[in-house]
Amino acid sequence: MLATEELSVTYGNILALGGVSLRIEEREIVSVIGPNGAGKSSLLNAIAGVVPVASGSIEFEGQTIAGTAPEELVRLGISLVPEGRHIFGGLTVAENIRIGAVARRDRNAIDGDVERVLAMFPVLRERLRQPAGKLSGGEQQMLAIGRALLARPRLLLIDEPSLGLAPLVVSEVYRAIADLRAEGVTILIVEQSATRALEAADRTYVLASGSIVMAGDAAELRAEEGFEDAYFGYKARDP
Amino acid sequence: MTFVLQNIVDAISLGALYALTALGIGLIFGIMRLINFAHGELIMLGAYALFFTFGMHEAIMGLVAMALVIVAAIVMERVAFRPLRRANPATLLIASFALAYFLQHLVLLIFGARPKSVTFLYELSEYFVVEGLRIPKLQVVTIAITIVLLVGLVVFFRRSSIGTQMRAAAEDFGMARLVGVRANSVIAIAFLLSGVLAGIISLLYVVQTGTLTPRMGVSLVLVAFVATVIGGMGSLVGAAVGGLVVGVLTVALQAVLTVELRPYRDAFVFAVLIGFLLVRPQGLLRGRSARERI
Amino acid sequence: MVGRVEKTARLIWPVLSLALVLVVLAALLSLGPMPLQRTATEAFIRLIVVIGLYIFIGNSGILSFGHVSFMAIGAYGSALLTIPPNMKKIVLDLPPFLTALQLPTIPAALIAGTLSTVFAFVIGVPLMRLSGISAAMGTFASLAIVYVVISNWKEVTGGASALIGLPVYTDIWVALIYALLALGLAYAYQESRYGRRLRASRENEVAALATGINVRRERLIAFVFSAFIVGFGGVLHAHFIGVLSSSSFYLDVTFITLAMLVIGGMNSLAGAVTGTIVVSVLGELLRLIEAGFDIGTLHLAAPRGLREVGLSFLMLMILLFRPQGLTSGREIAWPLAPKAG
Repeated sequence: MLATEELSVTYGNILALGGVSLRIEEREIVSVIGPNGAGKSSLLNAIAGVVPVASGSIEFEGQTIAGTAPEELVRLGISLVPEGRHIFGGLTVAENIRIGAVARRDRNAIDGDVERVLAMFPVLRERLRQPAGKLSGGEQQMLAIGRALLARPRLLLIDEPSLGLAPLVVSEVYRAIADLRAEGVTILIVEQSATRALEAADRTYVLASGSIVMAGDAAELRAEEGFEDAYFGYKARDP
Repeated sequence: MTFVLQNIVDAISLGALYALTALGIGLIFGIMRLINFAHGELIMLGAYALFFTFGMHEAIMGLVAMALVIVAAIVMERVAFRPLRRANPATLLIASFALAYFLQHLVLLIFGARPKSVTFLYELSEYFVVEGLRIPKLQVVTIAITIVLLVGLVVFFRRSSIGTQMRAAAEDFGMARLVGVRANSVIAIAFLLSGVLAGIISLLYVVQTGTLTPRMGVSLVLVAFVATVIGGMGSLVGAAVGGLVVGVLTVALQAVLTVELRPYRDAFVFAVLIGFLLVRPQGLLRGRSARERI
Repeated sequence: MVGRVEKTARLIWPVLSLALVLVVLAALLSLGPMPLQRTATEAFIRLIVVIGLYIFIGNSGILSFGHVSFMAIGAYGSALLTIPPNMKKIVLDLPPFLTALQLPTIPAALIAGTLSTVFAFVIGVPLMRLSGISAAMGTFASLAIVYVVISNWKEVTGGASALIGLPVYTDIWVALIYALLALGLAYAYQESRYGRRLRASRENEVAALATGINVRRERLIAFVFSAFIVGFGGVLHAHFIGVLSSSSFYLDVTFITLAMLVIGGMNSLAGAVTGTIVVSVLGELLRLIEAGFDIGTLHLAAPRGLREVGLSFLMLMILLFRPQGLTSGREIAWPLAPKAG
């Protein structure tokens, strides 16, 4: 469904991503793990059109998409839930959810999708009229995912969904991710905390210093020599 | 008592004019983080359109002026600001400065530097006399139009889809694009709205003063900057409130200051601005992300 | 030994090359007719102001709309100290000792420059607490206040009427010498630890604070120092024109000097110089076109006002095509042997 070929991203003279090639098949959950500064966010941002691609290519369903504006990528079926959630704090929860459907043409189906998001995250239902800025971190993460779902993405990119959240909330978020897979959404998750991301994903890439150093499923990776070393001393611990 | 009431009416109508100008500037600032110096030149263009069409039916004069200002606002965005959207804020700001100069001197080239005068909607310069209070019809109209526009804008931003998109974009432009808000449309509509506001100010201003010069927009825009800061940069309601406050402040200073100090009135207004920046940088109404760029 | 010489050369080349360009330009232009010389003198004065702007804006990354107020204070300060007493008695209403005071030009210039500096310090202490757009707004407000005061303070500035009787001593060479001084000082500041610290805060304010840089203090130093240079620009301007009016210290100069800096590239001294030269040359060319020329008995002249229209149009074009400025914020590098690393 998605394939990157030798994808590089630079900020000024700094190389953030140096030639990453990865593939994601339809209905797969793929995670990318790696230490802070490995280039994980740059990878997602490049796919979502937020940062320009320095070299290499990105193909989505056979179509080259590098250089396409983010608002057009949403229309092609790619949605990003960025690190830090970025909900619109001054808009109400309901407005935040509905704005996710901006790119859609099938106006009639939107109400149903809002219902599905609320069924998935019942806490949001009680807060529909409140400004989203008042939500807790976990609720904001759910809102951000719900908002992205309103675009009916075929590929959902999620950046650090567990960052700064309590363990129970993280579990809830990952339960929602598992539900989405059941609905046929293809998902690419980026995480610093490895255990969750390994468990949730069909396949995992390990990214370090802007390059893929390992790939495989959870069991394979765990068995692999030097898996922990790829983290430069970072132990794969869950909070 | 009459003196006080008279001043209150003056203050509110002046404040309304400032509020409309500040709104036009605040709209663009909210979405692009651009302080558009050339907003004053939109107002000036509208006034000269009235001068150019003078003699035609007044409805046509008004429509032509409005249309010209709106088109100029949209063209401005398309030609000058869109290519610079990713440039640093200083470049964007200087570009708006350059654009303002270009338009001023273009008009100067065509119409000359000497002030022109136009009579437009002369009936509005008559007075209502209520209990010894002389209220110019224009002031009533100005206040009424401002209220209608404010209510209209609030409804637009709260109820319409594009309005919600604009609020989202003003808050977090990058994220708004990620959910599918089209940057070009949102910005173009912001400029269109700022054009509508500028056009209306052109009309009101010409009715009030009757004289035009190529630089007539400058002082209005400077006052509007003060208003947006006082109200809270990035907040639309703040811009409107700020405009009102500056209007009231100006009239109050005029009434309170001694004859010797009166010429320094604007210096006091700007001193209040500095005070706000230091003591309450977020403005009367908390403006969002005023610190993000520049 | 050779390494040392080359190292020094590498260090001073960015400023030396600019100085050489200025000297050559001045030498060539001084051979030209008087109007051209005057244009050149004006451009050198502008350059001093732009260099002053660069010291603050370029190194701190904060826009200032207020620097022209320092120019005004320098100009009026020097005027009050140099206009002959009998003239002051007629047009102004000063305290007796100020009326009687008449200083030689250089001490007057130094005092006037100091006055700008002190003023910058007084407003800088509160304003440098601000960042970004708030700081820009605050500096603009201070410009507006100074402008309103100068336009109305009849006793001291002559108010709305122009102040006359200033000794005229700024010619192309005087302007050049001060421009070279400003250039040298700006470069010395830029390469000093103060300049380096401030530029670190420009790139990343949070990181700079974290490494113990007192950003507010560094900004204040640059602000005050730049005010001295800009104040001197005002002094030279005053003694170039010989007549002062408040309107020449407001938005027009603010715009043109900022535009020069941004067009050249606001992050380098080379940008300040390039922008000033390019905008001045374009302005002069347009002035010539506006003045018209003769073909036989036919006199062709462009309509008045074309110069400003053309200039602002060209500036807009440069900004559109080179948003980072003509130099992209780079200095002129030592031309011999590529730098290692």
